[in-house]
Amino acid sequence: MATASAVIQQEVIRPQASLWSDAWRRLRRNRLALVGTIYLSFLVVVAIISVFWTPYRWEEVGVAVPYSGPSHANLLGADNLGRDILSRLMAGAQVSLIVGIGTQIVVLAVGVPIGLAAGYFRGWLDSVVSLLISIFYGIPDLLVALILVFLLGPSLTNIILAIALTRWMDMARLVRGQTLALREREFVEAGRAAGAKPAKILFGHILPNALGPIIVQATFGIPSAILFEAFLSFLGLGVPPPRPSWGSMAADGIAAYQIAPHFVLAPAIALSLTLMAFNFLGDGLRDALDPRLKR
Amino acid sequence: MTVPILQVRDLRTQFLTDGGIVTAVDGISFDLNPGETLGIVGESGSGKSITALSILRLVPDPGKIVGGEVLFRNEDLLQIADDDIREIRGRDIAMIFQDPQSSLNPVLTTGYQIDEAMLAHGKSKREAHQRTLELLKKVRIPAAESRIKDFPHQLSGGMRQRAMIAMGLSNAPQILIADEPTTALDVTVQAQILELLADLNRELGTAIIMITHNMGVVAGLCSRVIVMYAGQIVEQGPVDQIFEDPQHPYTWSLLKSIPRVDAVRHERLRSIEGIAPDLLRPPTGCRFHPRCPFRIEKCYTDEPTLKEVAPNDMAACWVTMDRARKDMNADELVDIRPGAGSHYRRGELV
Repeated sequence: MATASAVIQQEVIRPQASLWSDAWRRLRRNRLALVGTIYLSFLVVVAIISVFWTPYRWEEVGVAVPYSGPSHANLLGADNLGRDILSRLMAGAQVSLIVGIGTQIVVLAVGVPIGLAAGYFRGWLDSVVSLLISIFYGIPDLLVALILVFLLGPSLTNIILAIALTRWMDMARLVRGQTLALREREFVEAGRAAGAKPAKILFGHILPNALGPIIVQATFGIPSAILFEAFLSFLGLGVPPPRPSWGSMAADGIAAYQIAPHFVLAPAIALSLTLMAFNFLGDGLRDALDPRLKR
Repeated sequence: MTVPILQVRDLRTQFLTDGGIVTAVDGISFDLNPGETLGIVGESGSGKSITALSILRLVPDPGKIVGGEVLFRNEDLLQIADDDIREIRGRDIAMIFQDPQSSLNPVLTTGYQIDEAMLAHGKSKREAHQRTLELLKKVRIPAAESRIKDFPHQLSGGMRQRAMIAMGLSNAPQILIADEPTTALDVTVQAQILELLADLNRELGTAIIMITHNMGVVAGLCSRVIVMYAGQIVEQGPVDQIFEDPQHPYTWSLLKSIPRVDAVRHERLRSIEGIAPDLLRPPTGCRFHPRCPFRIEKCYTDEPTLKEVAPNDMAACWVTMDRARKDMNADELVDIRPGAGSHYRRGELV
C-alpha cells in the first residue's frame, strides 16, 4: 500500500519531460549503451588527437624492427615495414569514423527526402522509388562498390559514395514506411486544412515524428559502413596506402599472423570493439526512442 | 437579403472502392450567410464529414469530388489551382477536427503549432507569437503564457480542443468548419467548448459550420440546420422551427430518439430501427423508406426532392409530418418501427 502510493507519488511528481530528455533518461539507464557511448567518445577523442599527434608519425618506416612485438617504445609493436602500430591504429580510427559517419550523412541526405516524397505523394513516384529500391537490393553490395571504386578511383570520398550507394535503400524504405503511416494521422490532415505547404508538412510534421527510427537506423548503419570499408580496404580497394585503415592493416597483418599475431589482432580488436559499441548504442537508442517500450 | 459567403451547389463526392462506387455526398446544395451558425447533422456515414472535407478539397483517397460547385467570393473552390486553395485553407476557411488528441502534432509544442498556422499565411514570427498568446487567452486557456510551451500530451482534452480552436481562428477566417469538435470530450467540457464557439461567433462574426451527430449540439449553437441522410439533404431550415415542428420523418425520429430529462411519462426511449443504408446499393425511391414509419407506396419508387414544406423549411419527403399527423396522431405513435404508421392509410396518399 505504502509502496503503491509512493510509486504514484513518484509518477505524479516526475517532471513532465520532453520526448528527447525522456529518451536520454532511458538511454542512460542502459548499461551497455552507456559503455558503448563512453568507448565511442574515447574513440572520437583519439581520432581527433591523432590528427595532431601520434606517438610516431604513422607513415614513418623503420621506427622499430619489422614485426617486432609490443615494447615500451612501441606499445602495440611494429608492422611489416617497421611502422608503429599504435600510431597507425589511431590514424585508422579517423578513416573508420569518417567513413561511418560520412556514409550515414549521405544516406540520410538521399534516403530521407526520397522516402518522405515517395510515402507522402505515393502514385507513380512511389512506384518508381520502390522499383529502384528493389533493383538496388538485387545487386550485390560488393559489385556496386567495386565498380564504383574502379570507375572513380579509390579515395575516401569515393569510398563513402560507393558505400552510401549500397546502403541508402534501408533508410529510404524505413522513411517511406513511416511516412505512409504518419500521413494518415489527423495532425497531417489538420496541417493541410490549415494551408500548410507539402514541404512544411513533410519536414515540419512528418519528419520530426519519424526521427526516432531514423536515428536508430543511422546508428546501426555506421558500423555496417565501417565494416564494409574495412572489407574493401582488406581487399586493397579501400583508402589508398600509405594512409592506414583498420582493414588494410588487418590485410597486411594476416599474412604474418604466425610470426607476429599482434599485427593482425590490433586492428581486428579495434574494429570489433567499435562495431560492438555502435551496436550497443543502437540497441539502447532503439529501446529509448520506442514509446511502446516505455518503462 | 444577405449575400451568402459560401454557396455549395450540387456537390457530389464519390469513393471508388473495390466493391464499386460509393456516392458519399450526392448532390448537396446549401448557402452559408456571413456570421451564420449552420449545423449539419446526420448519422455516421451520412456524408456530413465528407461534405465538409469536400469544401476544402481535403477528401482522402480514394475519394473524388465528381461534380458541383463550391462558390466562395465568386470563385469555385473546386476549380482553382492547388496553390490557391492552399492559401484559402486556414486563412479564409479554417477547420477543426473531432479528436484534438490526434489533430495536434505530438512532438511540437502547442504554441509552435499555432504560430505555424499563421506563418503559413505570411505573418511574421513576432506577430504570430504575440497573437498566439492573445488567442490562447481568448479561448480561455488558463496560464496561457506557460501553456504555450507545453506539448499536446501535457494538456487536457478540453484544453487541446481550445488550442485547436485558437489555431483555427488564428488567421481570423470568415468560415470555421468544426467537424464534431465535441465528440471526444466529456459533457461538461462539451458545453464549455460550445459556449466558447458561440461567443467567438458573436464577437468575431466568424461563420461556423458545425458538423455533428448530436442534435443537442445543434440546438445549443446553431441558427440553421441541415439534416443529412445517406449522402443527401433530407431537411433544412431554422433550428427553432425544425426542432419545434420537423417535417421529415427522419428528423422527427432523430428528435424522438434524444433522451429527455424533462420527459413527463416513463416513456421508452425510441431509436430508429434498422441501419444506415449501404451506399454501394442505395435504396430505390426515398433513401429513408426502409426505416420510415410513415412510408407510402410512392416512397419505394420515386425519389423525393427538397421543396418548401413549411415557411423556410425545406424537406425531401412525399409524406411530411404535417400530413402524417393529419391522418393520424403521429406524435402519439409509440411504435416507430419501419412502416408502423403506414397501415393507417396505405395507398390513400399516393
